Amino acid sequence: MTAGNVAAQSAASPAAREVVVSVRGLTKVFKDFWGRPKARAVNGVDFDVYRGEVFGLLGPNGSGKSTTVKMMLGLLRPTAGQVLVFGHSPRHVATKARIGYLPEESYLYRFLDSRETLRFFGDLFELPPRERNQRTEQLLEMVGLAGVHSRAVGEFSKGMQRRIGLAQALINDPDLVILDEPTAGLDPIGCREVKDLILALARRGKTVILSSHLLADVEDVCDRVVIYYGGKIQAMGALKDLLTERDTIRITTPVLSRQTLEKVLEILRSEAPADQVQVDNPTQNLERYFLEVVRRAREQAQETSGATSANRLAEYLQPGDQAAPDRRLERFTRPDTAATPPPAQPVSEAKPAPDTAKLDQLLKAQAPAPEPGPSSATPAPPTPEPVRQDLREADEKLKNLLKGS
Amino acid sequence: MKALLAMVRLTWKAAFRYRLIWALSALLVVAAVVLPGFIKHDETASGFTQIVLTYALGSIFALLGAATLWLACGTLARDIEEGQMQMVAVKPVPRWKIWLGKWLGIVTLDAVLLFASGLMVYGQLQWRSRELPPEQRERLRQEVLVARASLKEPSRDFRPLVARAFADWRKEHPGPLSPQDMAAVLKEIEEQFKAAEQIVRRDFARQWKIDARGLRERLGDGPLHVRAKLYLPEFRPGVVVEGRWRFGSLEAPRLEHVMPMTPEAFQEFAVPASQVINEDGTLLIHFVNRNPTAVVFLLEDGLEVLYREASFEVNFVRGLLILWMWLALLAALGLAASAFLSFPVAAFFALSLMVVLLFSGSMASAVEEGTVMGRDHETGKVDMPLVDRVMLPVFKGILSVVQLARSFSPIDALSTGRSITWGTLGRAFLQVMVVLGGAFALLGISTFTRRELASAQLAAT
Repeated sequence: MTAGNVAAQSAASPAAREVVVSVRGLTKVFKDFWGRPKARAVNGVDFDVYRGEVFGLLGPNGSGKSTTVKMMLGLLRPTAGQVLVFGHSPRHVATKARIGYLPEESYLYRFLDSRETLRFFGDLFELPPRERNQRTEQLLEMVGLAGVHSRAVGEFSKGMQRRIGLAQALINDPDLVILDEPTAGLDPIGCREVKDLILALARRGKTVILSSHLLADVEDVCDRVVIYYGGKIQAMGALKDLLTERDTIRITTPVLSRQTLEKVLEILRSEAPADQVQVDNPTQNLERYFLEVVRRAREQAQETSGATSANRLAEYLQPGDQAAPDRRLERFTRPDTAATPPPAQPVSEAKPAPDTAKLDQLLKAQAPAPEPGPSSATPAPPTPEPVRQDLREADEKLKNLLKGS
Repeated sequence: MKALLAMVRLTWKAAFRYRLIWALSALLVVAAVVLPGFIKHDETASGFTQIVLTYALGSIFALLGAATLWLACGTLARDIEEGQMQMVAVKPVPRWKIWLGKWLGIVTLDAVLLFASGLMVYGQLQWRSRELPPEQRERLRQEVLVARASLKEPSRDFRPLVARAFADWRKEHPGPLSPQDMAAVLKEIEEQFKAAEQIVRRDFARQWKIDARGLRERLGDGPLHVRAKLYLPEFRPGVVVEGRWRFGSLEAPRLEHVMPMTPEAFQEFAVPASQVINEDGTLLIHFVNRNPTAVVFLLEDGLEVLYREASFEVNFVRGLLILWMWLALLAALGLAASAFLSFPVAAFFALSLMVVLLFSGSMASAVEEGTVMGRDHETGKVDMPLVDRVMLPVFKGILSVVQLARSFSPIDALSTGRSITWGTLGRAFLQVMVVLGGAFALLGISTFTRRELASAQLAAT
């Protein structure tokens, strides 16, 4: 979750926050051939989406998420109510230049290859040929399809089609990215990459609307969500507020000695009923464990005819220093400013000052804590050298790590 | 502009990648070269032209017309049905540009295929003409491989004559007359006048007066081609009659040309322009019937005087341009239908509409007879006057619209060496492209602009 953004936005007054999408009383009734109401897909929905936030539309299948998205894009006309995107109707042509959209299905032209696909959509945005071509190559690299750029999209697996779909949604460097089930059909590595990308976009001040029924996706990246059911909003708010159990706290420490633990428990039990105090070993996230296993397998450098793991964010999508695209670690450790926010990493781990201690923290956060087997590689501890040297080495390690993931 | 060109390129790529272009090219080669090569002609200039030019161009147009309609219906309707249009329509491209881009893609494809096929036809025409006997080759050169303008006698208005004759007839038959009977009498009188005009009795002559001002100076001693077809009251195969043609006055002709004429076939002969055209620019032509039987010159066939106006090559290109305009109209029709119908329905709708328009003869006869549902043979009254009151104006409207496109016949013109003038080309552009094409474009674009492109996605919500 982009806590940094939430914090930054919370600090600003609500009036100062730019509304990117405004939805008021939005209703969509699908009718049959004779004009009789067939289904009320969306029913009197109200919400605002602000600049720079990752906004989730969450709900089961058929709850009205995609219909809402399609009304935001002007593909469907509301039966009642209105949608404004950047203050204009969704059918306003110039406004569309600021939007990137990934639909829930692969609606790509099957006879085009991935490079032609991106160039075609680049042309629809009237991009100059040079810029269009540069972005195309960077995006292909970013989504891991540079090696298969000449294969027709119709021959792609669903995951690869998803990747090229995502790339086309970013060809115009959009201010608002609308992603409808972006991780559908992707493997866990692809899912992680997409989520990292969403976070990176948010840090660049982009607004992301994510429609999904996958709770983990939404939980990992969204600042605020609306939860749909039956075409209506059932819950809305900051994810942190919705999920925090305010009457419970968790303390995490390294393994303590038995005596110390007994002492701590004694103190705790004096304050709270014994059956409400729990001590256990936290388990690591299955996604993170999976990514580490795959990383180690990738170190064997097996060739693949499919998509490769995304190596880096497209340059034009990166914040700040475009001349040194691989210095992502330096960006992580830069002071967090609005103009150059840190790239896709958990915000809670991004620290403002470039020092080795924080670098250690970062590397620990990236590397898996437990070692699944004796052959697994352990990240080398930072050596006490000057900071820039540390950064270069650590950067290399992180690059390798991300290649693996 | 980039977006528009991107849509054009997309259509081209689809045509190549789905191998439509290759399949169509192969069929066009068959239609333009292989089939005419296999079919044996009768070693006459007209037989040769019929196979190598008329049939070949006709089949090329039929193939391209069907492909155009199919492609036009498919390219938009399937993009909408399969969802690709959702990706395109959310980009900053107005929908009219998407529609226009699709249309331009199809018509540029048509242009390339049509002109490539035209080139094959032209090459074959030149190459295979060497198979003809020398005199037929010369005839081909004189009558087909040219662009000849046509002069005709202005069509005669029989109405005053009919009115006068009818008034005389009423003096003799003053009794009550129903409207149906009156119409029948008027028609009969008109037919009698027409018959009198068409029949040339034995030892009589028929005169045509044609305005040929300026031609005498322009052509000098160059040839004027007189083209005519006569009939006998009773056709007997193998019979040839004498054609005695006099130019200028009947009694003291400036030139007399006598030739054998086969009934029921167009025949041509050449005369020097400066000798046959009067000083005042009038061209008087007489047919003197010295045959033992009457002969008939139908008013519809008429008599034409042809003269060289431009080269065959220029004419050929102009003819292909009119064919291309028709294809562009079909593309607009298909795209207009697919803007609001699904692919198979759009294709069926567009094909049906085309068939109705092509075979509008029954509509024309209904309009001519003044009834759609027919008349009672005994009373002469129409069976369902209400239907007529509604349908006849509709039929008249449809016919006048159809006429906008059908009033051109480039393949006939090329096969008979008739000139398709720049004026004709301009008129075709105005009528076919601007008026009819524009109407379909307006319908297609406005429907497409208003259409919801994602309504079929309800289940996926």
